[in-house]
Amino acid sequence: MIHTYQIITAFMGSLGFSILFNIKGRKIGYAALGGMLAWVIYLLGGFWLSGEMMQYFVSAIIVTFYSEICARIEKTPATTFLTAAIIPLVPGRALYYTMSYAIDGKFGEFAEYGSYTVSIAVAIAAGIMVASSLARVFFALRSYEYRHHLM
Amino acid sequence: MLTKELLSYILDIGEQMLVSGAEVNRVEDSISRICKAYDAKRVDVFTITSSIVVSIHLKSGNNLTQTRRILKYSTDFDKLDRLNNLSYHVCAHTPEAEYIRNEIEKIGTTRMYGPVVQYLVYGMIAGSFTIFYGGDLNDVAVSAVIGMILKLAITFIQRVDKNVFFVNILCSFVVGMLGFLLVRIGIGHSFDKIAIGNIMLLIPGLALTNSIRDIISGDTIAGLLRLSEAILVALSISFGFGLVSVFVGGMFK
Repeated sequence: MIHTYQIITAFMGSLGFSILFNIKGRKIGYAALGGMLAWVIYLLGGFWLSGEMMQYFVSAIIVTFYSEICARIEKTPATTFLTAAIIPLVPGRALYYTMSYAIDGKFGEFAEYGSYTVSIAVAIAAGIMVASSLARVFFALRSYEYRHHLM
Repeated sequence: MLTKELLSYILDIGEQMLVSGAEVNRVEDSISRICKAYDAKRVDVFTITSSIVVSIHLKSGNNLTQTRRILKYSTDFDKLDRLNNLSYHVCAHTPEAEYIRNEIEKIGTTRMYGPVVQYLVYGMIAGSFTIFYGGDLNDVAVSAVIGMILKLAITFIQRVDKNVFFVNILCSFVVGMLGFLLVRIGIGHSFDKIAIGNIMLLIPGLALTNSIRDIISGDTIAGLLRLSEAILVALSISFGFGLVSVFVGGMFK
């Protein structure tokens, strides 16, 4: 049940951020759906991936691809969709616990949660990196200029 | 023909793009494409998060160099979209300087969502993420109200000082203080869920994604600058909460 709520609220959260980032028209829908997609993939990943970091990684990859495709459809920079869609993956909870342990002076838990937060951020970053690099090659191969150049 | 005036408008396009949230690569690319479209022999653009430098060699043998210092950012993807279209248009049709100036002015006047919508959205985001991380109905209500107050606080504090760290420390202090009080009174149930919902509003998501995208496109300096800014913002959020614990004497449960 909590998962259904999470999927709905992931959609709403991304929708909210698309409005704050002043995305207009149809693009809001794409960005909000991207946020939902991010969390659905994360949850689905739990069924066959080995660990939480892999879930974040795979989810970031798919969301980045999604944003690149939407960017081509709407003819606008991919950052527009990616920034709003990646929001549900951002480790807000881990960051909060890291900091509250630091304030309490519980250094064991602080170190544990701190490295956990950093790992999530790195997993997301790695996912975006991999997907952007692949998308770059893929769309370059498809573009007319490139083929023309080869001939 | 590239004149000083025209180059300054081209830089305006680049500057506005960077301010509204474009990656460094896109800014450099747009500027150099436009300059090439106006028959520059060679274009050297260097952009980091806080400055743009352009130097062009003209076919007539003259050189032109202009710089821009960027002091503040305000994310606006609608504006970025329009600027992006403008830069494609300029590349394709190489219009007069006058035309570019008018277009930039037109883009500058496009509207953000109204204040009522903004307040509601702050409430919605904070509430959503409180449910997302497992809060109950009371927590959602408290979190949404604090989200709206947070928006008020941001508007107010930014009038005094626009420094990002200062704003973040004070805002997270406001969030922490209100959350603590409302939980103490008994309206909210779990302080952590309420705080997390509101932290999502302050977290530097854009800086993080853009820094990664900059690093991939080879703009390591700009990427690292943004990354360290994101880390500093995260730190300043925790300083704000640290300040709360000083006032309330010890700990959040």
